[in-house]
Amino acid sequence: MDTISRRRFLKLTTGAVAVGAAANFLTLDEIAEAAINRPLPSGTPILVMVTLYGGNDGLNTVIPFKDPVYFSSRPEISYKAETMLPLDAELALNPSMGGIKSLWDQKKVAIIRGVGYPKPDRSHFSSMAKWQTASPEKHINSGWLGRWLDSQPEDPMLAISLGSVLPPMLAGNKISGSALPLGGLVIPKGTFAGQCIQLSKVARVDSPLMAAAATSMRNLFSVSTSIQPVLKSPAPVALDLPTVNGGNAGGDSNLSQQLDVVAKLIAAGSPTKLWSVSLGGFDTHANEANAQAELLGVVSSGITRFMSQLKSTTRSNDVTVVVYSEFGRRVKGNASQGTDHGTSGPMFIIGEKVNGGFYGDQPSLTKLIDGDLAVTTDFRDVYGTLLESVLKSPAEQTLGKWAGRTNFMKAV
Amino acid sequence: MNIKRLETSRLFHRFGFGPRPGEYAQALKDGVNVTRTKLTIAPAVQTTISPVVTPEITDLGKRPEPNSKEIVPFAIAMRAQEQQLGLWWLDLMALSDHGLTEKMTWFWHGHWATSIQKLNYPLPMFNQNKTLRTQSLGSFNSMVKAMLNDGALQFWLDGQDSTSKAPNENLGRELMELFVLGVNRYSEDDVKAISRALTGYQVVRSTGQVSINPSRRDTKPVTLLGTTASFTGDSLSDFLVARDDCAQFISERLWYRFISSTEVMPASFSAKSAFASRDIATAVKAMAADPSMRDEKYALVKSPVEWFISACRALELTPSQLQTPTQLKSHLDKLGQVPFNPPNVGGWPAGGAWLSSATAQYRLAFAAWLIKQSPLNALNQIPIESRVLKSADWLGVPEWSARTQSALRTSLDDPAQFALLALCSPEYIVSA
Repeated sequence: MDTISRRRFLKLTTGAVAVGAAANFLTLDEIAEAAINRPLPSGTPILVMVTLYGGNDGLNTVIPFKDPVYFSSRPEISYKAETMLPLDAELALNPSMGGIKSLWDQKKVAIIRGVGYPKPDRSHFSSMAKWQTASPEKHINSGWLGRWLDSQPEDPMLAISLGSVLPPMLAGNKISGSALPLGGLVIPKGTFAGQCIQLSKVARVDSPLMAAAATSMRNLFSVSTSIQPVLKSPAPVALDLPTVNGGNAGGDSNLSQQLDVVAKLIAAGSPTKLWSVSLGGFDTHANEANAQAELLGVVSSGITRFMSQLKSTTRSNDVTVVVYSEFGRRVKGNASQGTDHGTSGPMFIIGEKVNGGFYGDQPSLTKLIDGDLAVTTDFRDVYGTLLESVLKSPAEQTLGKWAGRTNFMKAV
Repeated sequence: MNIKRLETSRLFHRFGFGPRPGEYAQALKDGVNVTRTKLTIAPAVQTTISPVVTPEITDLGKRPEPNSKEIVPFAIAMRAQEQQLGLWWLDLMALSDHGLTEKMTWFWHGHWATSIQKLNYPLPMFNQNKTLRTQSLGSFNSMVKAMLNDGALQFWLDGQDSTSKAPNENLGRELMELFVLGVNRYSEDDVKAISRALTGYQVVRSTGQVSINPSRRDTKPVTLLGTTASFTGDSLSDFLVARDDCAQFISERLWYRFISSTEVMPASFSAKSAFASRDIATAVKAMAADPSMRDEKYALVKSPVEWFISACRALELTPSQLQTPTQLKSHLDKLGQVPFNPPNVGGWPAGGAWLSSATAQYRLAFAAWLIKQSPLNALNQIPIESRVLKSADWLGVPEWSARTQSALRTSLDDPAQFALLALCSPEYIVSA
């Protein structure tokens, strides 16, 4: 994977709006007056999933900065202790994560340590599939949040992923989330709209894939009519961050742009309870230190700015942000100033209703399993709490009989 | 559904990039057996309907320092060559008289998914593409050996950084997981062992030239999948390719890309036993005759490039002549698939991933852009009174649903609109 996915993401930001396809497509101006007519009731919890693709090195994210084994295991890619941002007597954040550190100081960040699943899989694709389906033992086709969607009344606005390809996490057995590219959707109008709506009817003879093709066109109408006008409006202002060239600092990365769109739509009352954004490029087999610091800086400043933007809306108390990656990396560095695929890593849960602090045990650097960190918290514990305490839904329909929970949310 | 029409349609769309105008109707007359033989045995020499000039991709040398005066011509040449490379391959796909070789090259590009984004030089990607084409229907063992000596793949997976002192596991792991055996058919100890056996490669980044540096190479015996030996790249390939898991895995990948990305491969899938000799052409031929080709449940979503090329063939368009190449790239990029630029080493997704509301919109815009540039000869020649039904033959679609027929009927007097609805219909986006 390496840096390509990040660069690909950055490139997608140029995927602007209307592709010059004549008068059959609505321009943004034409539909700017339209409004969202069924806003999400204020106080409804909203979950924002941030996926870091490539395997984020957890040990260089939440760093055991007093442990000499950390420095001796990876002399070429360890950070200097004085640049790190201490969280307590033993752990510090990556030097580039100043924004998250200030949210931590405000007790709005829960860091769950050593998160993973039994029998860690070091394949990007298998491991991400296990995280996204919440089924580490056997391969299944539905995502954990997709199964939650299955339990909700069908609404293409309920779960939205930024970008044109839908992550498996949001694919249910019956219902899937919608995809929204940066720049928004352009919908057909007039006679052409009628023809497209005709084409988007699911026919009795359709195979499941043909039915999905028809539905994707139908969703184009339902999602874009409500979302389009909002994208035209300016992003909420982050009151407490410095501005650079008229925008807030940190707003030039693709992740920030995705979060900007999410912030706009949340502010406008989009009836969406679930958002998915992502950043790639964490597969740092080589020359890790600079690349990872840059990426973590993007994550930290993007989320900080997002949380700050929400303060100018009525919904800042409603939003919970979750950050995860498919695995952590090997404790020992390799010859290329990088690290190979590993096992557990930290998860971040951020929000006003989060009970800030550490959860789960920090995996030991001396009691390694096969050169890798132990898993001390199962990700299903975290998902269970997110389902019950954020989405206010029974966990069993999504996770089966899974008893573990991690109580990082404030009691209401 | 008429099984003969279904099977003929699948032969065109899955073993090539779709029919040219008239080919599908002719194939129905010829019968399935004749068509299968014709479409699934590649000719020795590949011909195209109009000339496709091989681009001049050169060694651009070391990247000049940022802000130097040499960097500008370097960057211009780099961009021009990258563009020519992409257009050249798209032209080969769209203009080839026989679709199988390019379809297989495309399959293997997604299998050994290497991206120019990390390489940042077109020449190694060009060389890899030639290797994949030459090997596309040959011995899989020769292909693996050639790929271990492929500079683009080695650089992509950090092979040049892997030394006896500290092996890098990227190439070794993916060789077993994604290229030869399949995930979980080895242990983590095997990953460590194979990574040691693969140390010592060095790559000239601008050309993709590979050499082995003995001082960086770990020649000590390793125990890999129960066998202790001191492997070379070639003996490693012999060893892995001979394993039963290799036949299982390659037939699974063929199944996934040619038959179904949603249904599990049955144990009886004939490509698996046909791959006993590790000859790719034999497995492909067996797959084309497999009973699954006649089973309606195995629908497959066309990937964006497959959809685009099949549209070019139906619309009689040449990708490199489209106005402009930059717009073409932007359309492909929005749909999420640009050749030489896979998202990661696992290649592109399949199935439902291509069916989001966002891709629905981009596909409409892309199709409208293509149709504007087409003379629409084939469609205009179909009399209006039979246009709805006969357009299925033009595009190689087994049958239109009543839904699509009624949408098409609204545009009988507007060929451009008719073509737009047909190309964006569920029946054309999905290979039934």
